[in-house]
Amino acid sequence: MSKHTALVAVAVIAGVVLIGLALVYWIEPAGSLPSWLPGHTSGSGHHHVKHGLAAFLLGLACLVFAWFRSAPKKQQHEA
Amino acid sequence: MISYSQAILLGLLQGVAELFPISSLGQSVILPRLLGWDIHQNDSYFITFLVATHLATALVLLGFFWSDWVRIVKGLGRSLRDRGIDPADKDAKLAWLLVVGTIPAGILGLLLEHRLRAVFASAQSAALFLILNGVLLYGAELLRRRAPAPETGDGDRRVADGVGWKEAASIGAAQALALIPGLSRSGATMGGGLLVGLSNEDAARFAFLLATPIIGAAAVLKLPELIGSQGNGVRGQALVGALCAAVTAYFSIRFLMRYFETNRLTPFAVFCFVEGIVLTLYFAL
Repeated sequence: MSKHTALVAVAVIAGVVLIGLALVYWIEPAGSLPSWLPGHTSGSGHHHVKHGLAAFLLGLACLVFAWFRSAPKKQQHEA
Repeated sequence: MISYSQAILLGLLQGVAELFPISSLGQSVILPRLLGWDIHQNDSYFITFLVATHLATALVLLGFFWSDWVRIVKGLGRSLRDRGIDPADKDAKLAWLLVVGTIPAGILGLLLEHRLRAVFASAQSAALFLILNGVLLYGAELLRRRAPAPETGDGDRRVADGVGWKEAASIGAAQALALIPGLSRSGATMGGGLLVGLSNEDAARFAFLLATPIIGAAAVLKLPELIGSQGNGVRGQALVGALCAAVTAYFSIRFLMRYFETNRLTPFAVFCFVEGIVLTLYFAL
């Protein structure tokens, strides 16, 4: 696997994980989040909507990066 | 609760201060304290009121730069379709510069807003940060890479040519400074634009384009509070305030786009510095 392909793969995996994380933030209350996640608060019923949005935006950015990076050579210009 | 006369004053102030580099949040914290109003930055009804005025400002910005946004969105679509940015496609480059600038600001805003609001909610701290805002604006003018000169041609094209990816991310992240009352979003982005070599006119254009999605998204995110029970008793005032903010925002942006064709940030730097000093002394006495 070339360095270029590896970078695209990492970006796709990171994008999917971050979007998954966003869903977790939106669905699970703060008390049910894994203790290692930012925003975990024991017994709290609050949903971290903004944390979810931040994770979603980052995930989307990773996927867009992968989309540009994986473009065929002849089409790739600057991104 | 906010009265209608307070809503009118705060709305008029918001429309001006959001676009002039004098910190709208800072001014909206200081004004109630100066006039002895029982309104505080973290009161839920005041936040709801601010949502409406911010939404109005964002809509005015969107309308003012509507033709630019149409080109920018088309450029974004072209680049996604082609899976790359054609060096000749300045609209696509500008679109991605705005995306790159908006992401760090958005994430920092989402994560830090509550903490910063809680720590820096007082009029005294806003006055102190206004002094710092004045110093930053003046520093940006001192350290600018090129002398101010009238520009010709397409402003969006000049911005796309003059700003790089890292620079867009830095300028965008600097918008998060505006979460601290007293520091200005447009001041941070205009100052950043000057430091990367843009003229005042182009720095202002880039600042206003960058501000539109951030202000709009922040307002839309909190829209449920305006529509829901938290908005009870403040919706009428919010509507009046929003209309006032829209009017002053429109005239402010018209004025500023002309002003920056030939003028600098320096008067705003002096204004913030003097206002900050005077208010700090006033609050201390």
